[in-house]
Amino acid sequence: MLQVDSITKRFGGVVANSEVSFTVEEGQIVGLIGPNGAGKSTMFNMISSVFPPTTGTITFQGTRIEKLPAYQVAPLGISRTFQNLQVFKNMTVIENVMVGQHMQTKTNLFGMASLLLGITRKERKVYDQAMSYLAFFGLQDIFDQKASSLSLGKLRLLEFARAFATEPKLLLLDEIAAGLNHKETQEMSALINKVRDTGVTVLVVEHDMDLVMSICDKLVVLDQGVKIAEGTPKEIQENEAVITAYLGADIDEEEVEEEAI
Amino acid sequence: MKLQGVQQTKWMGVLVFALAILVFPFIVTQSFYLTQATFAGIYAIIAIGLGLLMGYAGQISLGQAAFYGIGAYTTSVLTATMGWSPWVSLPIALLFPGLLAFIMGYTMSRLSGYYLAMATLALGIIVHTLLVEWRGVTKGASGFFGIPQLNLFGYTINQGIPYYYLVWFFVIIVLILSLNIVHSRVGRALRSIHDSEIASSSMGVNTSKYKMQIFILSAMFAGLAGWLFAHMSYSISPAAFTFDASILFLAMVVLGGSGSVWGALIGTLLIRMVGIVVHMLGEKFPFITSDFEHVIYGLILMLVVIFLPRGLFPTVADWFDALLTKRSSKKSMLKLAAKR
Repeated sequence: MLQVDSITKRFGGVVANSEVSFTVEEGQIVGLIGPNGAGKSTMFNMISSVFPPTTGTITFQGTRIEKLPAYQVAPLGISRTFQNLQVFKNMTVIENVMVGQHMQTKTNLFGMASLLLGITRKERKVYDQAMSYLAFFGLQDIFDQKASSLSLGKLRLLEFARAFATEPKLLLLDEIAAGLNHKETQEMSALINKVRDTGVTVLVVEHDMDLVMSICDKLVVLDQGVKIAEGTPKEIQENEAVITAYLGADIDEEEVEEEAI
Repeated sequence: MKLQGVQQTKWMGVLVFALAILVFPFIVTQSFYLTQATFAGIYAIIAIGLGLLMGYAGQISLGQAAFYGIGAYTTSVLTATMGWSPWVSLPIALLFPGLLAFIMGYTMSRLSGYYLAMATLALGIIVHTLLVEWRGVTKGASGFFGIPQLNLFGYTINQGIPYYYLVWFFVIIVLILSLNIVHSRVGRALRSIHDSEIASSSMGVNTSKYKMQIFILSAMFAGLAGWLFAHMSYSISPAAFTFDASILFLAMVVLGGSGSVWGALIGTLLIRMVGIVVHMLGEKFPFITSDFEHVIYGLILMLVVIFLPRGLFPTVADWFDALLTKRSSKKSMLKLAAKR
């Protein structure tokens, strides 16, 4: 479904990603993991067309997307959440989701201005649909609250709901569980599974290992901008290179300990 | 149809406002005030458009007077020189400013930063110079004479009560159109751009397209105002379409609050009232000249920007909301207490 092919991204002299390739198959939950500074978020931003890669190609269902602007990638069926929360603060919960449904109705400014009967009917439909998305994510009780008044957990859910409301084929979740407590994280895993069961392919960037290991079908591990492993959670847990990347080489640790003594 | 939790047009407000417009000439009968109110309506149309541009597209135009002037001169030339009916020239008076806005917006395809403010500033100066210098068409600085009055079903719409109603009829239409835009899918998209442009474009919102559409619409509103102005007056001159006028429109929007359609309307009325007060004071105290107006407008702009950055209307509306919710929560608490 998604092919990332030898992507390199340089910011000035810094190489954030180097020759990274992987694929995401339809219907899977794929995790993109790695230590801090591994280049996960950079990769994510390129897949969602926030900025283009320096070299390499990204293909989504046969369409090259690496050079498209973000608003043209969304209609192809890619949607995302943001790690640093880009909720529309001055809008209510349901209005946020209704922006997510932006692409589902096609009315222009001048038609809208006259607020013809057909348009009010469309608004009603969008509203009801938004309400059902909110119910799916358990946000239906706070639908009329200003987004700026929500807790972090609810904000993450709202971002998720808004991205889901675009009716994507591929959903990119950028550290959706960051800052959540244990219970909220578990609920989030259940939700991600639930979303996948509706037929949406999911790509997650995540720090929370429990979450990643429990829900992902496949993991791609980045370290210092390079892909060091790819496989099922079980394979990754046993992978030497991954363990080294996360914990440092054994020998180093012993040396450190000795020095400490 | 009420959709709770979604910003919608409050038809009650529009209705109350329309009624106030309707009865105003019965309460205030002096022709001076009626003329002032008619002018206020013409300016309100421009201010509402500019308010949409500033509050919803996040862009500033320092040249709305140019679009206003193009609308006025287009219809003047078409009707007085070429003998068209004013009703036929109306679409052209809307089209020309809109087209110009389209060309400007297109060349600055992304409409980001302060480029539009700079470009419209230049446009205002160019258009004013053209109006003064292109004597063959505009008749130059002395002004354009002989603009025909409007006729509707054989009835001439004179200056005074008939024209007052005509202008405010158009204001109400513009108001309703704008409220509907703001409270629709496009309005939501525009508001979302304000909060996070990156998120809204990842929802498939073509941000620059909507900014452009709003810019064109604001130019067309100004063109409509120009058309109304031209056919109210027997003559027009370039002096009405200067940079000062553009700043005046800006002051109206900033005072009322750019994030709100009502704000622009209220701001216009307030600024016009200040003008009237200065005029009346000027009759009593000879040292207060009409230049004094500009000093006061400047002062108002400064005070608003410092103390009410969101403008008068949204701030006051929030006070009222807070007051009402306090009351109702007090009431419900009392009820709870009584139950116990």
